[in-house]
This record gives sequence, C-alpha cells and structure tokens, in this order.
Amino acid sequence: MTPVDVAVTGLGVISPHGDDPRAMFAALMRGESAIQPVFPELAKPAAAAVAPFDVTRWFTKLQLAGVDRVSQLAVAAADLAMRDAAAAGTAEPQRIGVYTGCGMGGAAALDLAYRGGPRVPPLTIPAFMPNAPAAHVAMRQGVHGPVLTYSVACASSAIAIAEAAKAVQRGEVDLALAGGTEALIVPGVVLAWQAMQTLAAFEPGEAATAVKPFAADRSGFALGEGAAFMVLESSQRARDRGARTYASLAGWGMSTDATHLTKPDAPGQARALRAALQMANLAPHEVGYCNAHGTATRIGDVVEWESLASVWGDALDQLRVSSTKALHGHLLGGAGALEAIVTVLALHEHRMPPNANVGSVDPACGLNLVLESNVQAPQLNAAISNSFAFGGTNSVLLFTRP
Amino acid sequence: MSSLKELQNLIHDKFGIDPATLDPNASMREKGLDSLALVEYLFAVEDHFGISISDDHANVDTLSELAVVVDKLKAAQAA
Repeated sequence: MTPVDVAVTGLGVISPHGDDPRAMFAALMRGESAIQPVFPELAKPAAAAVAPFDVTRWFTKLQLAGVDRVSQLAVAAADLAMRDAAAAGTAEPQRIGVYTGCGMGGAAALDLAYRGGPRVPPLTIPAFMPNAPAAHVAMRQGVHGPVLTYSVACASSAIAIAEAAKAVQRGEVDLALAGGTEALIVPGVVLAWQAMQTLAAFEPGEAATAVKPFAADRSGFALGEGAAFMVLESSQRARDRGARTYASLAGWGMSTDATHLTKPDAPGQARALRAALQMANLAPHEVGYCNAHGTATRIGDVVEWESLASVWGDALDQLRVSSTKALHGHLLGGAGALEAIVTVLALHEHRMPPNANVGSVDPACGLNLVLESNVQAPQLNAAISNSFAFGGTNSVLLFTRP
Repeated sequence: MSSLKELQNLIHDKFGIDPATLDPNASMREKGLDSLALVEYLFAVEDHFGISISDDHANVDTLSELAVVVDKLKAAQAA
C-alpha cells in the first residue's frame, strides 16, 4: 500500500524576522541579521535574536494570567498557520492534533521566580511547564485530539513535525498543527549558555555578524526566540478542500547517537539522513538544498560535514547548504520548525537563502555553501532540514515540491 | 474607608477591566476571571495592601465581598 502523502498547507511564524513567513524568507534571502546585543548589564557581552511581537493582537490582559511568553508566541504562530491554511472549521475538533516542540518551557516565569522579588508569583508552575504552549494552542484552536509536547533539545520541533506527519499518515488525525516554540532570552538562561562556552564571541558593534557557520573563524551561535507552526494534512484532503500546498513532507529520519550527551556523532546523523532519503525514495543527488543544523561550533560543523559527506559521497558538491542560524539565531526547541519553514519556502519559491558571515570557509567542513544572497534555484525539487540535538537525537525532514 | 476603589483600580491595571463594566456586586468568575486569574489578582491585592488573605476567604466572588475582607484585615493590622 502506498503511504499517504503528507502536505504542508499552512505556515505561521513569530520569528526574529517578523510574523510573515514570506517576508521572513525575503529578509533571509537578503542576508539580513536579526541578532543584536542584549542585556548590557551582564559581565560578558551577549547577543541574541529577539522576535518582535505585539501580544495584544492575541491576548487581552485578563487572558494573559499565567501565560508565559513561550506560550504567547506559540498561540500566535499556530493561529497564523491555521489562518494561512484556511483550515479552521474544516475538521472535527477530535480529529485535530497539536504536536509541539519546546526545549525549556517558560523561561521568563522561572527567571522571575528566582530574581523577581521576595514572593514567587502564584502561577509560576502553569506558566513554566513545558507542555503549556501546546495546551494554550489547543484551547485557542478548540483542539480535542492529541495535544503533545516533544522536548528533545534542538531537535524538539523537527521531531514534533515528524510525529505529526505519522499521525496524519496513520489516519489518527485529519489535521495536524505541528511546530515549536522557544522564548528563553532572559539573563539567567543567557548566563547559563555563556557558561556552556557555545555562544559566539564578538567585538563591540559586530553582534549582527557574530555567527559564522562553517567559517574558519566561527566561534558558536547566538540564541534566538520565536515560534513556528505548519499545518499538515493528507494531500488528498488538501486537494479535496482546495487548499494551497507549499510542499510535501516526503520523508523523515530519526536516530540517536548514544555516544555522548552533547558531542555530536557523524554516524548517528548519517543514520537519520539515510532514513529520510529512504522514506522519500530519493537518491542523494536528487536533493538540491540542505538547511543545515550549522550551529557554528568548532566541533558541530565538522561533524555535520562528515555525516553529509558520508551519505552524499561524490554527490556532495551538488548539494547546496546553508545554515540560516547566522541570521535568526538558534531557536533551540523552535529551531527545527522555523528552519523547516525556511526549507519549505526555498522549495516553494525556488530560491535558497545564504549562509551568511563567511569570510573563508573552513576546509575541514568544505560544503558547497550558499555564500551569495538571492540565489535562484529553478531546478530545486527536494530539500532537507537537519536538526541535531544535545542528548544525541538526530532528526532530518525531507520536503519535496508537491 | 472602603478599599473598593483601590481594588477596582488594581483590577483595571492588572487585567484591563474598566470599573464601569464590573459591578462590585457581580461575580468576578462570571466576568471572565477564572480560578487562575483570580489567584493572580488576590496575590496582587495582598502585595498592594501588605496583607495576607487566608484560604478561609477563597469563596469571595465579588469585589464588594473582597473589599469587606480587605477592610477587616487592614483594621486588624492597624489595631
């Protein structure tokens, strides 16, 4: 039996580049960075990509009781995706599912509890709990089917999208809202990431270009915040209701390194890459673009090259690669979904966003990077988005033109 | 003096509910303050007046009832 083809019919983002997916993609195509200095009071300079967001478009003050920013962003992005898909009212509430990736939960609520004053706010727990975003999305959209949260660090929302696609294929749901959210640009969390020694160093005035994936002088990533959701449904259903289809989610791969908690592993990543190709029934040379995990850490970028090289072999040079984290930062639990949307739009618009801020490519990870801005890709028919998590879980999403 | 006016100002600051639209004798729960919002509001009231509202008063449902409780606690404090 041929598996059900899964269509992407709606996109919604609250991103560092705004709340319009196409405008976000256009800004990325121009190589515009949203990374800027934050928290000047911290001892060590910090930079992050904060999402501009007008909460009053989605919440009254009364509705905001106990709702952390991480949930606010999720409610807004999911709502935008549902509107984009014109999907509201097309499925029974119990036939809709919400599949949400979130790494940390309500960081602002926790930070306030620790640092805010003598008393801890009474709704800190419901604001913080990592499954709150999915629950708020469900309440806003009236979803009565499965409402699930996947906390798999940097792969959270890529995993969520794959799990949602499975539910669509199995017929468990007619409509899936799948994506992720993260909002942890608060001093305590920034300090913790600084202590981890994975954030990019930068000179004063150069925060916007601090993240240099695959470059010889790369030194790590910048944190980003935001939420991204897509609407998934069977292609048959999308056709029947006359929905626009941006792309098909033709394959996905999940694997685990089981070698080290934080150090990536090329054989583990390669297993996820091969699984995605196999499910989509594609050869490596048929995939034209890879939105890399590309965190710009010294080790991570080399390991990603190694895993891509081991699977693509002689076809590696035909694969154009960019890590857009240089421009929108690392959204952690939201990264997989945001970058999946970037990948979908690359296919939809036949254009590939650049891998910014590279003066000279590190020969140890010599991929065919998209170094120019505004690159057209008329032949692009298949593209992948990589998300490789702390904890060793790897996820690859493979999209094709419908 | 009744603390009703201050309570109305607080609920306006916190939740954007105009005093004119919330009858002091109407149920706050019926006006859209669910149990979570009410917890947040009582927390703000405690902070504002420097009092501690015990669980004995968990059934308070209108601003007028709340004003009576707050007045009693303030008076007890002053005594």
